[in-house]
Amino acid sequence: MPSLKNLPRKILPWIFLAPLLFMIILFWLVPVGLTVFLSFTNVTYKNFVKFVHGVEGAFNFTLENFHKLLGGDPYIGEIAKITLIYVGSVLAINAFYSLILSISIVYLVKNEYLSTFMRVVWLLPRITPAVVYGFLWIWLISPDTGPFYQFFASLGVAPGSWLLEKPYSQILMIVVNGYVGASFGMIIYTSAIKSIPEDLIRAAKVDGASDLQIIRSIILPLLKWPMLFVISWQTLSLIASYEQILILWGSYGATKAAGTTVFAIYAWFKAFEMGEYAYGATVSLVLVAIGIVLILLYFKIFGFHKLMQPSKIEV
Amino acid sequence: MSKKYIDIKKIKKRILLEKIAKALIVLFVAVIPSIPIWLMYLGLIAQAFSSKVTLGIIPNGFTLKNWRFLWSTIQMGLKKYPNIWPITINSLYLALGTALLVTFVAGLAGYALSRMEFRGRTKMMEFILALHAFPSIVLLIALFVLLNKLGLYGRGFITLTGVMITKAALEAPMGAWIMKGFFDNVPWDIEWAALVDGCNRLTAWRKVILPLVLPGFAAVAVFAFLAGWAEFIMAFTFIREDRWWPLSVMIYHVIGEYKFVDWGFLAALSLFYALPTIIFFVFSQKLLLRIYVGGVKG
Amino acid sequence: MVSVKLDKVSKYFGKVKAVDDVTLYIRDGEFVTLLGPSGCGKTTTLLMIAGIYKPTKGRIYFDDIDVTDIPPKDRNVGMVFQSYALYPHMTVYNNIAFPLKLKKLPKNEIDKKVREVAKLLKIDHLLDRKPSQLSGGQQQRVALARALVKEPDVLLLDEPLSNLDALLRVYMRAELKRLQKTLGITAIYVTHDQIEALSMSDRIVVMNNGRIQQTGTPDEIYSKPSNTFVASFIGTPPMNLIPCRVIDGKTLECLGFKYVFKDEIAEKILNEHKEVYFGIRPEDIVITNKDNGDAEATILVVEPIGKDLVITIQLEEEHTIKILAPPSINLKPGDKIYLKFKKEKIHLFDKKTGQRIEYIIKKGEE
Ligand SMILES: Nc1ncnc2c1ncn2[C@@H]1O[C@H](COP(=O)(O)OP(=O)(O)O)[C@@H](O)[C@H]1O
Ligand SMILES: [Mg+2]
Repeated sequence: MPSLKNLPRKILPWIFLAPLLFMIILFWLVPVGLTVFLSFTNVTYKNFVKFVHGVEGAFNFTLENFHKLLGGDPYIGEIAKITLIYVGSVLAINAFYSLILSISIVYLVKNEYLSTFMRVVWLLPRITPAVVYGFLWIWLISPDTGPFYQFFASLGVAPGSWLLEKPYSQILMIVVNGYVGASFGMIIYTSAIKSIPEDLIRAAKVDGASDLQIIRSIILPLLKWPMLFVISWQTLSLIASYEQILILWGSYGATKAAGTTVFAIYAWFKAFEMGEYAYGATVSLVLVAIGIVLILLYFKIFGFHKLMQPSKIEV
Repeated sequence: MSKKYIDIKKIKKRILLEKIAKALIVLFVAVIPSIPIWLMYLGLIAQAFSSKVTLGIIPNGFTLKNWRFLWSTIQMGLKKYPNIWPITINSLYLALGTALLVTFVAGLAGYALSRMEFRGRTKMMEFILALHAFPSIVLLIALFVLLNKLGLYGRGFITLTGVMITKAALEAPMGAWIMKGFFDNVPWDIEWAALVDGCNRLTAWRKVILPLVLPGFAAVAVFAFLAGWAEFIMAFTFIREDRWWPLSVMIYHVIGEYKFVDWGFLAALSLFYALPTIIFFVFSQKLLLRIYVGGVKG
Repeated sequence: MVSVKLDKVSKYFGKVKAVDDVTLYIRDGEFVTLLGPSGCGKTTTLLMIAGIYKPTKGRIYFDDIDVTDIPPKDRNVGMVFQSYALYPHMTVYNNIAFPLKLKKLPKNEIDKKVREVAKLLKIDHLLDRKPSQLSGGQQQRVALARALVKEPDVLLLDEPLSNLDALLRVYMRAELKRLQKTLGITAIYVTHDQIEALSMSDRIVVMNNGRIQQTGTPDEIYSKPSNTFVASFIGTPPMNLIPCRVIDGKTLECLGFKYVFKDEIAEKILNEHKEVYFGIRPEDIVITNKDNGDAEATILVVEPIGKDLVITIQLEEEHTIKILAPPSINLKPGDKIYLKFKKEKIHLFDKKTGQRIEYIIKKGEE
């Protein structure tokens, strides 16, 4: 195409980037703006249609949502607490448990086929479509046939319902999301462990280290950055993740009884179950703000180049 | 080595003890906690193909009755669900459309980011990495308003298309990021050689670079396809008419209706839906893992 | 210190025979070099001696103790890796102290030993640095210090000098050798660099494709290569191998010339072979006049290397050989010259098997 060949070099890159930029502007930047905008309005299901059609005077600007968020809404405190417990516990599983899991699978299991097989098993929760994964948990904990329920019942732990009785429901929420998150950590860690030069491990063996000593004095210290990375990245995605909670509990009433109303799902319920779009947007805005602040913070602390290499070990 | 240092019996004992310790760690860290995963998937298969299941996972009596949804309509009391096949086609449409859009957008952008000089290139990369880290799901309410404003809400097939485009837009930064990585791995001298040999930039792209980054395109396409296939929340929130649901949404509703009533049927339906994902994953595991690592998605 | 014995040791990686039926005895305090092209199984051999790899077949002995099943920890070997394999997150001090800490020695003893060995290797001023802050040569010394600090019975060195620049490499060769002799330690040294091997070793083991080709002192390896592989691997430039047909017990018809032995013993041996390689090192060929010449040739290229000239000449058709000549000689490409082969320096190899044909030249006959 000779016409393209003659295009000034300055314009060509932007032509290549145009579709992406268009998508980013329309589906990322506009929604962020819209979230801010909505937070300052009183849009609910009552005036939503008029608002969408741009009818004059359909809505007012107001600070009411923020008043509500900062004191008017009696559940916010509780929800913040649940979110904190949720993010903290799942994070611990994702960052620390999956670390020892990865070391076990790729370092302690010497047989390569077995090791790959175990990795695949642990990846299943992550790759299975969320609805199916959620369904499988509903089945596991169902009192009639669920093996998980029955196993714990045989140990004397038999709540009427794992879904609705605190603290079992909260444990369930953490476990369900923990399995999905563990595999994210595992992917990063296993590739980091595999990138440790073989000679380093051999040198340690010649120096007289046992496998456990190698883990403690060589592998763990080298995984400092991948660990930091997993913690940072997972914090970001956990504060906003609610898909599994929605699938398992499905309604505000259920999450309220179960004590599993995290911030993100609260926004969803407010908007789509109760029609309080503006207030839902305000709750979302908190998460948008936290997200942006954290990202800026990570860029500042770690720098772009480091963030690009999640599983790089310091050699 | 003076002989006094070597006590073979003692060494053998120590090795044995170490082996036991390692086996115990693997057992408690990696094997026992994976039991629920095993139970889930063995249970899924066992339930789907047997009339009765004992202890959750032991099949008893082979049957295809649970798969009746493939040839008849799902009905619960008075509630009738749409036929499975149009729903499957909706899911395919959503997944393939997402894959196509993401691959196209990401291919172009990835090339520009990796290969072209322009002002603000680094800033652009930082921005894309930031988007990629940002949990887009918190924008759902705004996206809902946006789709309404654009007239894409409540209009069946058009809404499904809207979900597809939105999904593609949310996946596109990651796709661009991955493609950039693949382009980075094509050595510059190959492109130079092609240019020297008389190709212009576009023919160089088609003849020399494209074959080398084809795995990248495949990876992005597979990845976007799976994301589209598994998409639940947006479809669930935005699509009202059950005729235009994708599989995920229908299954969600059916689960609500049938749990405790007919596990076998639910298992068969879930297996039907999850199968493409699992097959894709098994065949492109290495590629997908590479993306997960480079792609950094939580 | 110990002696090391490998008894019919093999290591297979799937179908690849990395090391194939190697039998080797290394005396207490000896400096032995494994020499061979890359991929010939040197590292694998070393790792088996260290205990990292378990042989697929065969046994390994330290003195008369069978250590085949004993882990590296209990073998008391020290090893320097080609990549140095310094622990990047530890300081130099902690790198060197690591083997001692694992032995659970008391702190003050560790400190004393670390400082001693650091001083010996002249790195005592670097103890607080991280490996990434060191030059290649310094890293190499740290790796050596870490290997020596535990006073190993055997020191294993895997191409330790290959990542250093040329000048440092020459210096370190001498230094390593001196250190090994002072400490009286049994050392097994791996390299693909024949000059290193020839200048440092008590004995050299030449390997190819996982098999031992020849074991001997540098002098033996150089002057009596036991097959064509060793002949063409050793020497810069390596030995010329000229294919020849055996006419009768005394006469060889080679590419470009006929060679007649004036010796009865040669005749006997030559009768057993049909085709041979006539081997002669470049420095054992003299340029002479027509009457004295064994062969006639044309000069193709003249290249100066250091103090000598390497002259590539054409014997016949496509076959070229190289000779060494003093720079005083005034020759240019296209010149016709006559060559004389130093009679006692002629090697013969069977063409089929590549094995050396042993024969004796009686001195003084000309
Ligand atoms: N861990 C391994 N797995 C498979 N093949 C290997 C392994 N280590 C070495 N090899 C193969 O064994 C042969 C010898 O390797 P090596 O001992 O490293 O050679 P050298 O050190 O002489 O260069 C090579 O062909 C190499 O590819
Ligand atoms: Mg090697």
